[in-house]
Amino acid sequence: MDNVRETVLNILTDLTGSDEVKTNPDMDLFESGLLDSMGTVQLLLELQSQLGVDAPVSEFDRTEWATPNKIVAKVESMQ
Amino acid sequence: MKVTNIIEAVDHNALTDPTKISYVDGEQTYTYGQLKAASDRVAAFLQQQTLPAKAPVVVYGGQTFAVIATFLGAVKAGHAYIPVDTHSPKERLIQINEVAKPGAIIELAPLPIDLETPIFSQKTMTQVMTDSASSTTYDATQSVQGDDNFYIIFTSGTTGVPKGVQISHQNLLSYVNWNLSDFDLYKGIRTLSQAPYSFDLSVMDLYPTLALAGTLVALPKEITDNFKDLFATLPKLKVNEWVSTPSFVEICLLEPTFDQVHYPDLDHFLFCGEELTQKTAHELLQRFPQAEIYNTYGPTEATVAVTGVKITPEITAKYDRLPIGKAKSDTLIYAIDEQGQKVPTDTNGELIISGPSVSKGYLNNPEKTAKAFFKLDGQQAYRSGDLGFIDTDGMIFYRGRTDFQIKMHGYRIELEDVDQNLMQVQYVKQASTVPRYNNLHKVTQIVAYVVPKPNQFESEADLIKAIKAELSQNVMEYMVPQRIIFKDSLPLTANGKVDRKTLIAEVNPS
Repeated sequence: MDNVRETVLNILTDLTGSDEVKTNPDMDLFESGLLDSMGTVQLLLELQSQLGVDAPVSEFDRTEWATPNKIVAKVESMQ
Repeated sequence: MKVTNIIEAVDHNALTDPTKISYVDGEQTYTYGQLKAASDRVAAFLQQQTLPAKAPVVVYGGQTFAVIATFLGAVKAGHAYIPVDTHSPKERLIQINEVAKPGAIIELAPLPIDLETPIFSQKTMTQVMTDSASSTTYDATQSVQGDDNFYIIFTSGTTGVPKGVQISHQNLLSYVNWNLSDFDLYKGIRTLSQAPYSFDLSVMDLYPTLALAGTLVALPKEITDNFKDLFATLPKLKVNEWVSTPSFVEICLLEPTFDQVHYPDLDHFLFCGEELTQKTAHELLQRFPQAEIYNTYGPTEATVAVTGVKITPEITAKYDRLPIGKAKSDTLIYAIDEQGQKVPTDTNGELIISGPSVSKGYLNNPEKTAKAFFKLDGQQAYRSGDLGFIDTDGMIFYRGRTDFQIKMHGYRIELEDVDQNLMQVQYVKQASTVPRYNNLHKVTQIVAYVVPKPNQFESEADLIKAIKAELSQNVMEYMVPQRIIFKDSLPLTANGKVDRKTLIAEVNPS
């Protein structure tokens, strides 16, 4: 079982209140309105506390973090 | 510095220093001379149209120079403006159009829908504003003044229909003069313009800055939404004055380089719109030891803000929850109980605001106006629905909304108070409590919606037990919710606050 993936998807489900992040991991979270600035802040804080991933906020480019799959890839590359 | 007429004050700056920069939008800069010329042309154009006298006009657009010039042009021509931001939902535009019955819609960004109201297109307006051949002559005797509406900002209404708060020139003048006298701002100040212009927080940056011959520096949502862009842009803006909600500065504080060393020009922070927490104030004082930080409070109905306090280490040390400040000098604020009687100092009550910046009421809505506004010794007064108390020094403290105060079995309970305490429980991430009514409209239960943190409990029942046990250590027994319903997330309003009304409807199906 891919643990990082599961954790990230759980964080996203929790933040967005939608299971769609799991069934449709290529959806654009920002365009769909599921994630906004304050949600993004929460996401970064959760990634830090649950996975120890420190994503500098100044390097957070939305286009690189737009879908659940992209976020998983990003987190895996940073571990 | 005291202003007697907003339009004249801004024009005066164009006449004394026409090359001074008034507005910065990305790489583009615009002078006071350009601002005067563009707004004069808009005024001349609008007066040439056959709009009903004093009819408001909707200005649809983002954070751009053209929008500011059109605001000024509209009031010069004698029409209040209704700012509608490009990020507003379509439905809202339809509702505002229905309620306000505007004389025209000025389209400075593509409208998402077609409306019956006459529309002046972006193409037309661009031509009007930039063509040096177009007339700059308008009849200034018709300009907005005194009790005429200057702008109308729509807020959400309890019944789902937005309410248009009418702010007159007189109201705005009272606000601007207070801002100029009490916040230690200076001539030529460079100010962040981050709040959308349909949110009245933006007025805190717009008119004081323009009166001070300062420069407005636009920071639109497209940039703030993408943090990489935000932090690449922010240091380049070189602003002196920061105006935002506490939430926005909290995002910026995530970046370790957001401090005095990297932002040496930044010397003023003005906050409004929500509670400034101890944590955020403390962090700011540490990062910007030389800056002046102000907390303010006010409903849109009383023009942007009516209380203010400078946040210093002494203030943060003195109070558990930060005060919202003292009433501005021309305004009276007091707290009343449910019978409408004034309450003693240090006692919670509904805050009543009376003074020259209080609105005449809601546009085309006499019923809601009569409910919320009244005359007090000849001054307009507003029932804020905000709960707070005033101490012996006249310092005012915000404690939530009166709307969510309930009575159960004779006990008076602030639901927000229960929420706050629930969120202190170690297993709770987010919580919102709502009353459950019986058929006599009496509250029989408090139901808590809780987003739990990850935990080790075998069952929901065990988790409920643990939450109640911990909560009852901090609150009176009657404040402990009878039912706890777990959710993955709580519904939010358009403003990002927990939508308690939706939850109330869920608990009390009609």
